[in-house]
Amino acid sequence: MITIAIPTGTLLDDSLGLLRRAGVVDLNRAELGRKLLVEKAGLRCVLVRPADVAAYVNHGAADLGIAGKDQLWEAPGGHYELVDLGFGACSMIVAVPEASPLAAPETWPPTLRLATKYPLATQRFMQRLGQVVELVHLHGSIELAPLLGLVHGIVDLTQTGRTLRENNLRVVAMVGRSSARLIANQASLKTRSDTVQGLVTRLRQSVEA
Amino acid sequence: MRRWGYRYVVTPSLERVDLLALGLDEEERRRLFKLVDQDGSVLGLVSERTVPVARLVAGKLRGAPLPLRLCYAGPVLSNHPEGFSRQRETQQVGAELIGASGPLADSEVIALAVQALAAAGLRRYQVDVGHSGFFMGLLEGLKLPEAAKAAVKAQLVARDFVGLEAILNETPLRREEHQLLLRFPALRGGPEILDAAAGLVRNRRSDAALSELRRVHELLALHGLEAPVSLDLGAIRDFDYYTGVTFEGYGPDLGRPLAQGGRYDTLLARFGRPAPATGFVIHLDRVGEALQRAGVQPDPVHLEAAIAWSQGGLEVALRLGQALRGFGLRTVVSTEPRAAPTARSWATGLGARGYCHVNARGEIAVGRDRGWLRLSLADAVAQLAGTSAR
Repeated sequence: MITIAIPTGTLLDDSLGLLRRAGVVDLNRAELGRKLLVEKAGLRCVLVRPADVAAYVNHGAADLGIAGKDQLWEAPGGHYELVDLGFGACSMIVAVPEASPLAAPETWPPTLRLATKYPLATQRFMQRLGQVVELVHLHGSIELAPLLGLVHGIVDLTQTGRTLRENNLRVVAMVGRSSARLIANQASLKTRSDTVQGLVTRLRQSVEA
Repeated sequence: MRRWGYRYVVTPSLERVDLLALGLDEEERRRLFKLVDQDGSVLGLVSERTVPVARLVAGKLRGAPLPLRLCYAGPVLSNHPEGFSRQRETQQVGAELIGASGPLADSEVIALAVQALAAAGLRRYQVDVGHSGFFMGLLEGLKLPEAAKAAVKAQLVARDFVGLEAILNETPLRREEHQLLLRFPALRGGPEILDAAAGLVRNRRSDAALSELRRVHELLALHGLEAPVSLDLGAIRDFDYYTGVTFEGYGPDLGRPLAQGGRYDTLLARFGRPAPATGFVIHLDRVGEALQRAGVQPDPVHLEAAIAWSQGGLEVALRLGQALRGFGLRTVVSTEPRAAPTARSWATGLGARGYCHVNARGEIAVGRDRGWLRLSLADAVAQLAGTSAR
């Protein structure tokens, strides 16, 4: 039996919609939310936190998973990234308070202090720029940190930019673009290639249609 | 492995970092445990043993004629918490066949790896055989700037096909080439995929890789290993290290390969003794995990005979012990006198498969079911050796 890890949160509805459209499995939110693990249509579906999808797939507890690229930056290795599913599009950006003198990277101080939920992606981006950073790893309400003077700025995801504007933050650099991805365990692709590849093909066709 | 003529070698656990780096990619180099020597040079704790073995072949074994068949076993360290237990130290067993090129050597090493997995008690496993030359030929055949080729390679090694597609969209490649690069990782199956692949590519290096793979597959069939072997042209490995046939062994329900290996013909030259080479490593901790999941119990018997004796029976007990050991039985003779009624629980506690007691008159009784069987020394040996053979 193939196990697929589905993320809770903002990607959940689109993920279930995709699985339904591709004719893979018809699940509703209530059913999955109650049980966390549902076996249906020869498929075992598990509901996990977005940040945990990659861990389930990397360790082989799930054969396939749906995860935001932002989460994959934080959990590299161990999986194949197969399909850009298109939904959940957002950007990872560097933002500073409106009143800050900081703008493009040339204007940044020798050591930039940043708050983020994404330390690995931030570190990698800043390394490419040759920018030294001090990271404060936070788990929520990142926007607050610069307003209280804890950091110069933040690295976070934004979809429409509304939350940033509401908190008087201004984008100064783009780290990368994220969207939901279909990932697969490396061994599952080999040892159950027929079933797993079949599912992947159906999902890919549904996305491209 | 010794039955295949592989000589057991021991290599140091501590090596110079620049030396170890020869066999590691960038990420693996970062994960080395490092320390500084008295003279200021940086040392690393070995995270794999192919490079130390290569150095041995080019150094101490310089005079030994090739091909050399060597095997090793031991702990390796990596500052990379992998798996659930996040162990830094894991156990590896491996073998290297140095100085032999061609499909016959490749298939010997693959067959040995498969037999080693089977000998460990795995009943279900699968081996994927690929060839790094297929992809390299593919890449060389494309009219792309070096930087773009490097980017394509990097995305493949990271297994990021979404990123790969994004890069390909920015290159002036023809549509067929574009599709080929995206789809070749799915070229997997029996020998029929070699024909399919041959229709897709037109360059000498890829063609040579395909015919080598075909021969390896035939030879593995002669080894009796057709069933667990698949061909996998999309096998993605460190392309700078491997130069030919590569393979990975998988168990059921384990997310990571149990065994990995392949041909690395350029490594030995870096130590001043150019020679073709191929080999593999088995990750013992993962094999243990796979066995556990498959419900295979480790063989608890490490003792085949336990001999108890009463005062006065020691001489016979020792003679009996020697005789059993002469037959290759793992045998323990009690270090203190022990009455017959307690011998049974003592032997069970030791985990012995068979047991016997020698009384004060030097008479031997072999334990059987719940009672005893009085036997001569020769018959006792036959009985115990027979028990162990059953």
